[in-house]
Amino acid sequence: MGVFAIFAMLRTQVLEFSWRLKIECRRCKHLSPDELGHKLSADVRQRLANGPGLQEFLSNPSRNWDGYDGKLKREKGESERLRLPPWLKTTIPTGSNYARIRDQLRQLNLHTVCEEARCPNIGECWGGGKHGSATATIMLLGDTCTRGCRFCSVKTSRAPPPPDPSEPVNTATAIAAWGLDYVVLTSVDRDDLPDGGSHHFAETVREIKRQNSNILVECLVPDFRGDLDAVKTIADSGLDVYAHNIETVESLTPYVRDRRARYRQSLKVLNSAKEINPDLITKSSIMLGLGETDEQVHQTLKDLQVAGVDCVTLGQYMQPTKRHLKVVEYITPSKFHHWEEVGNSMGFLYTASGPLVRSSYKAGEFFIASILQKRKVTAK
Amino acid sequence: MANVVAFSRNLPSFRALKYLSSALLKYQHTSAPSQCSSKTQPLPKKQAVEVTFIRANGERIKATGKEGDSLLDIVVNNSVDLEGYGACEGTLTCSTCHLIFKKEDFDRLPDKPTDEELDMLDLAYDLTDTSRLGCQITMTKELSGLEVQVPATVNDARS
Repeated sequence: MGVFAIFAMLRTQVLEFSWRLKIECRRCKHLSPDELGHKLSADVRQRLANGPGLQEFLSNPSRNWDGYDGKLKREKGESERLRLPPWLKTTIPTGSNYARIRDQLRQLNLHTVCEEARCPNIGECWGGGKHGSATATIMLLGDTCTRGCRFCSVKTSRAPPPPDPSEPVNTATAIAAWGLDYVVLTSVDRDDLPDGGSHHFAETVREIKRQNSNILVECLVPDFRGDLDAVKTIADSGLDVYAHNIETVESLTPYVRDRRARYRQSLKVLNSAKEINPDLITKSSIMLGLGETDEQVHQTLKDLQVAGVDCVTLGQYMQPTKRHLKVVEYITPSKFHHWEEVGNSMGFLYTASGPLVRSSYKAGEFFIASILQKRKVTAK
Repeated sequence: MANVVAFSRNLPSFRALKYLSSALLKYQHTSAPSQCSSKTQPLPKKQAVEVTFIRANGERIKATGKEGDSLLDIVVNNSVDLEGYGACEGTLTCSTCHLIFKKEDFDRLPDKPTDEELDMLDLAYDLTDTSRLGCQITMTKELSGLEVQVPATVNDARS
């Protein structure tokens, strides 16, 4: 009998005693023991008796979530939102590192996708932690996008303010201050600019490399509406990893991404980057949980492989605000593990797969960094 | 002491006071409001309007709003379950508020689409000749009772 059950028993006894003395508690609606017994069904009483004891709340909770029996999938026609499963719960970001990075970003007028897209990992990444130094993914070209995808909470506008010309230098300054060896840059879509913002992006990469030639730079870029000149500008800027997210499977793309984004267009962009600069490592990311089938995900992985993509990450789609797409299914951690094995067996350089894994997944970066360092050494 | 006496002599007598107060009360009841309150008129009550959204699976959702609300406002205020509706929040930067009207409703809509709206509409899924973007349609009394069809969303596309 767990401590919880003992406590429940004691409480019932106290109640019984107070009834005998005709002491009425006026603060809350107390039920007499008889009423209490009848209120709870036998099924619930059974579950309470078999439920968590004090131990579960004291030590680290077990990492095996196979016993979770909450609803994980919304069938077609069901409109009620699913409850968040326990493996997706994260802590509220606090701490000196978090505050330091946030203040620094505001001072330099920089934006991060971590804040704008409400990433659940913000506390872990900005706080540093077991993976090492604190990092943030800076979002270039402002915080307002010219597309409105149904899964993304970044602000949208027809004519966002022009990019800040001092952004490349400010970004390089911030990154130098953080003392990182691997950094990820991303941006919003800027369909209003003739080059899609690619020159600004490339200038930022060059500035970072100028200040620290040893730092490895990954760029998570837009598709530039398929403009291959813009792709070339980025691919030749000196970056190490070229990333562009395919986001979802082909059949769901029109309903999930903005209509200017297209599945085949994204694949073409990834392929072209590889053709323009074969030394680049290319990377893409898929969100699971929007109603795709296993066959569709498998096909997407195959399409990425054909396009020459080296690394792939798979993560759980989480609804950022009430106005965005509701989660269709919460994929279990063991299923994510299955996709990791599939990815590895297909021959991807690295497959990062997990519910909270996002495009710039820290452990993956360590792996990619080691690959790139090895290449540098062999090249010398 | 003399000041107090002088003061009390200058006060109107009790009977006079009573007469004055009753007269004032009568005055309040009988005079027109504009004579003793501000000149501004109260805001006219906005007419309530009704819209029915018909989802791709046939489900009909009734929602109410006020005159002057756009269809996007009505969806948001009533939390109508249309996934990802109005992703750009009415700035004519996406096509997620795309709605399909009946021919007669489409023709009697007061405003014709602007070039920006047409640009965004061109991108929309399931585009028809009677399509409009919901964020650009402002409801009027005459349009109340409107029935609009919502194109397929991710929930309809999934297996």
